[in-house]
Amino acid sequence: MSNGENGRKSVLVIGGGIAGIQSSLDLANMGFKVYLVEKTPSIGGRMAQLDKTFPTNDCAMCILAPKMIEASQHPNIELLTYSEIEKVSGEVGNFQVKVRKKATYVDWDKCTGCGECTQTELGEAKEFNGEIWVDRIKIDEGTCIQCGECAQACVEENKEKHAMTNIAFERRSFTELPPEEREGREPETLPQRVALMDEESRNEFWQSELKKCIKCFGCRDVCPVWVYDGAELEDAEWIKPGEIPPAVPLFHIIRAYRVGDNCINCGMCEETCPMSIPLRTIHQLMRRQPPESIFEIIPGLDAETKKKLVQAVRKQPKAEKKQPAAKREGRK
Amino acid sequence: MNSDFVLTVCPFCGCGCQFYLQSMDNEIAGVVPCKTDEISEGRLCIKGRNAADFVNHPDRLKSPLVKRDGKFEPASWDEALDIVSKRLSQIKQIHGPDSVGVLSSAKCTNEENFVLMKFARAVIGTNNVDHCARLCHASTVLGLVKSFGSGAMTNSVPEVEGADCIFAIGTNTIEQHPLISSRVLRAKEKGAKLIVADPRRTPLVEFADVYLQHKPGTDVCLLNGIMNLILSWDLADKDFIAQRTEEFEEFKNKIKEYPPGKVCQVTGVEQAALENAARTYGEAKKASILYAMGITQHTTGTDNVESCANLAMLTGNVGRESTGVNPLRGQNNVQGACDVGGLPNVYSGYQSVTDEAARAKFEKAWGVKLPENVGLTVTEMTDAALTGSLKAMYIMGENPMLSDPDINHVKKALSSLDFMVVQDIFLSETAQFAHVILPACSFAEKEGTFTATDRRVQRVRKAIEPIGDSKPDWLIVGELGQKMGGKGFDYKSAQDIMKEIAQLTPSYAGISYDRLDSGEVLAWPCPSKGHKGTKFLHKDAFTRGKGKFFAIEYKEPAELPDKEYPFILTTGRLMFQFHTGTMTRRIPILERELPTGFVELNTEDAKKLSIAQGEKVKVKSRRGEIEIKAFVTDGILPGVVFIPFHFAECPANELTSSNLDPEAKIPEFKVCAVKVYKG
Repeated sequence: MSNGENGRKSVLVIGGGIAGIQSSLDLANMGFKVYLVEKTPSIGGRMAQLDKTFPTNDCAMCILAPKMIEASQHPNIELLTYSEIEKVSGEVGNFQVKVRKKATYVDWDKCTGCGECTQTELGEAKEFNGEIWVDRIKIDEGTCIQCGECAQACVEENKEKHAMTNIAFERRSFTELPPEEREGREPETLPQRVALMDEESRNEFWQSELKKCIKCFGCRDVCPVWVYDGAELEDAEWIKPGEIPPAVPLFHIIRAYRVGDNCINCGMCEETCPMSIPLRTIHQLMRRQPPESIFEIIPGLDAETKKKLVQAVRKQPKAEKKQPAAKREGRK
Repeated sequence: MNSDFVLTVCPFCGCGCQFYLQSMDNEIAGVVPCKTDEISEGRLCIKGRNAADFVNHPDRLKSPLVKRDGKFEPASWDEALDIVSKRLSQIKQIHGPDSVGVLSSAKCTNEENFVLMKFARAVIGTNNVDHCARLCHASTVLGLVKSFGSGAMTNSVPEVEGADCIFAIGTNTIEQHPLISSRVLRAKEKGAKLIVADPRRTPLVEFADVYLQHKPGTDVCLLNGIMNLILSWDLADKDFIAQRTEEFEEFKNKIKEYPPGKVCQVTGVEQAALENAARTYGEAKKASILYAMGITQHTTGTDNVESCANLAMLTGNVGRESTGVNPLRGQNNVQGACDVGGLPNVYSGYQSVTDEAARAKFEKAWGVKLPENVGLTVTEMTDAALTGSLKAMYIMGENPMLSDPDINHVKKALSSLDFMVVQDIFLSETAQFAHVILPACSFAEKEGTFTATDRRVQRVRKAIEPIGDSKPDWLIVGELGQKMGGKGFDYKSAQDIMKEIAQLTPSYAGISYDRLDSGEVLAWPCPSKGHKGTKFLHKDAFTRGKGKFFAIEYKEPAELPDKEYPFILTTGRLMFQFHTGTMTRRIPILERELPTGFVELNTEDAKKLSIAQGEKVKVKSRRGEIEIKAFVTDGILPGVVFIPFHFAECPANELTSSNLDPEAKIPEFKVCAVKVYKG
């Protein structure tokens, strides 16, 4: 316990479960300055997931909630949520601790806890690792496409005093800014732009991009997870041979479907595309949405074709290991 | 197991994409894109990605073949070269050196073309050396030399990206030069305007801001019409015209004869579109013209090229970055084959054979007396063979039996030759007529350099050992040269030849394998060792001093449709095949995409003739007749039909006319009269 602010002793509690909360409250009431470090975005821990508690069969939340509130409002307790301990040094009586506070993109002083940010179309609450988190707030680099919907919801609910300061939101307004104010600001990302388009402009966008295709099969050839030899892309019934551009958008839908969940987001498909079609964006969007709903995004597909497509993809051929190029058919 | 990656250049179009060839135990395993290459940036088209698939094909010629009693029989190299040297010497002695014709090749390296050119001139003693540039960009080489002083693409490929306005006329860029079209689309994304003029709705039209669908062969009229509007709206660059050009007044008077009304009537273009094109091009700060076969393959080819040059000079769009007149060359090394003198009128570096100083220089270097007269062109050789003045031909890697106009005529000519040698990697349609066939190496088995369309000289490197008994072309010609008593043919490597090219060619003087291998990007002119190469030409002055305007009158194509032959036939290439298909038709994925040819026919015409989609029809011209599948589309003008010339089973060139451009001697592949009927 080292000398904290104002010469008082201070304590660091690791873990914001019920034990951590109770310890923090006790210590704080004894006059210590307490830092409560919790790795998830909220304190509460396991007890918040329970219904009743032993031995009184009391409702768990009824016991926990007042304590959580007390901890968050206690003048001697400083909550460090969504933070992790990186390094502990020093000795008993005088520790030095390095804490990494992860970005939540939320200004907690302004946050009213309205929950609007969690209610957006794209940012539905999802179960993760047994804990319920809103992935808008606990932004996961792998799945967030930075659409900025959450921040938009925050602004609409809380007007000028919005709490979400996420970079996606900053980017989002980029194209609406007059050119002289754009300097020093991050432009919006393509997946963000596409995700935010209305159906018609999304239509236009994919049509105009996919019609550039010259059918070089590069996106397929370089794909590290493509394991099908042949498949529909080389089947005349699906994709008419010798046609440029190949059937829009069927060719790319089939390709995306085949890559599907295996995509490792390496971006090779986009890099090797001679016409610079943003193929990676298709996969980035597919990471948050099932392929079926991407088909809504890539329009121009009538119900019949869609049905055929879904059927074809369901009866997946046995994945064969890709043979080395020299051994393929026709090259003896 | 041995595995290696070798950086080399794509053997198809003139973009000059580099990629790695992966070899495994002396067999090509695949193509890997090269991200650091300035042109391709790790991107390739379908032909490039499968470029190596023909290399190990079973059809490859593996030993010399000699025709005995109408059949080809394998022979040893000694035997075959003995026959060739004996027969050629004989014919030379009896009929004179000009009775031998030599075709060099736009598919072979600069070094090989140089050695063959030297062989023709120094050993045989004739200037009868030409290659397929005659059939594609002869009018460019001539026209741009007349206007600017240098017959090559003025700017480099990456610069296309920076243009404000791109005027693509007579080029199917997306299908034929995919990696150049990707720059066009990038420029568009940055806000550039794209004008496309083409009688066929090529894929590039989808992206055009202005589309001019003019009748085939009316290019001069269309360009004059655009220039008329630019002049009348006062959009011309007067300072540029005054300081950098000459003979403007005469040109200006001629242009006045092409008011929009007349132009629209002749070309079939709507006036609004014409005005839009003129305004867009005229107002652009950096405007770039791209053109290809649609401009050059006409009896007015040279006029068309000069008109493009006029348009660029009128608006001051030459000699600056991202501007210029950019002929897109269709073969990997057609630029290089011209540069090193595979033409009947010039030595390497376009030094004229009639110029005494140039001739003396080459005579001194080679130690022989060189012929003084200009030689025969490809098209003239065919005629000469028929009249009997040409007795023998030596053909390296060319396939005139599919690529030349009026094949029946070519067939007669080739079969009337006393002696014919073909040096190729496959038994092509032409090779069937040969007396001796010499097996050559493909691009993957030899060292050398290719010169891409933007004058960029790049290294071709050996990935595997030669297949069978085949040899690199330079070695074959070198050995033959020695056998026939030529001096200076004992080259040890391709590098030796490059040294000789650099010595004798001012524009290549600074180019060496050491510099290329160290990763330098060298576009000629590169006159000295320290020179960095030239990104764009005519910066402060034109190569010829001042740019010259030509007053050009519109002339109609040589053969127009009439009652008997009511359609205009225009020919061209498609994405999935390449030229006469000797290579691409042996690549399974390309053959699967496009297994055979078709005749493209307007919907209305098809309805009139009651031709259904995919139906077999007959197409007939005054010279021949073919049977072919119909492809009915709205993408082509009524009264016009299109046939790709790749396919030996339905060869478009059986129909085309051998009418020539009077100056450039390029045949009119793009216009001839045909009829279409159900057989």
